[in-house]
Amino acid sequence: MVTGGIGWVVAVNLIIWTGLFLYLLRLGSRLRELEKKP
Amino acid sequence: MEPVRKLFAWLLWLWLSAVIAGAFLYAPLAKGFIGQSSRILFFHVPMAWVSFVAFIAAGVWSLRFLYFGRQRRHDRAAAVAVELGLLFGVLATVTGSLWARVMWGAFWNWDPRQTSIVVALLFYGAYLALRSSLEDRDQRARLSAAYAVLGLVVAPFLFFIMPRIMFSLHPQSVITPRGKWRWSRAWCRCCSPARPAAPRCSSGSTT
Repeated sequence: MVTGGIGWVVAVNLIIWTGLFLYLLRLGSRLRELEKKP
Repeated sequence: MEPVRKLFAWLLWLWLSAVIAGAFLYAPLAKGFIGQSSRILFFHVPMAWVSFVAFIAAGVWSLRFLYFGRQRRHDRAAAVAVELGLLFGVLATVTGSLWARVMWGAFWNWDPRQTSIVVALLFYGAYLALRSSLEDRDQRARLSAAYAVLGLVVAPFLFFIMPRIMFSLHPQSVITPRGKWRWSRAWCRCCSPARPAAPRCSSGSTT
């Protein structure tokens, strides 16, 4: 894969968006835990 | 995480990956954009929309908190919505700046769109500052809910009205300055993004 090529951009985007996705999943589960508290 | 939720999370991740790959490897370049810059619209426009919807959701949760029993979960939902709105608002600003560097020659031009989103981010940043400055839980929930309800007026003004009453370099929108829906562009964006011959595909964001 050539650095700066379109494949590189796709790979970087996938990593960034997967990170954001995991963060949002964690946020969701944290919120559900808070919901359980009185 | 329960199985159904886990399955949906995986499906969502697969969808997300497919959209990223499609945006870079499949979608044709739009006319009127320099180089590959049109590809950023697949990310920038949805980010701006998510940001706006999250800010509105925060206002709605806050209204529910104030008028339907002062339930703490409504307050928490509003706070999380503002956090998400800020996150996606920052991402929309950054991607917009990258696009502006390619198309307009500078990352920042004080275009009405850029200015209005910065003001929106400052407004909701102040919401988080307000929350963190109050120690009493009930007072924090009450005051921040009132502030977020104010956002129901501020956010639509900053996202939709302000950029339309001033001259802007930003690509034209599906919603016109008179508040009318431009069907030809809407059709172009929603139904035929992959057709190079589709009418008037050369410009535009949908916010």
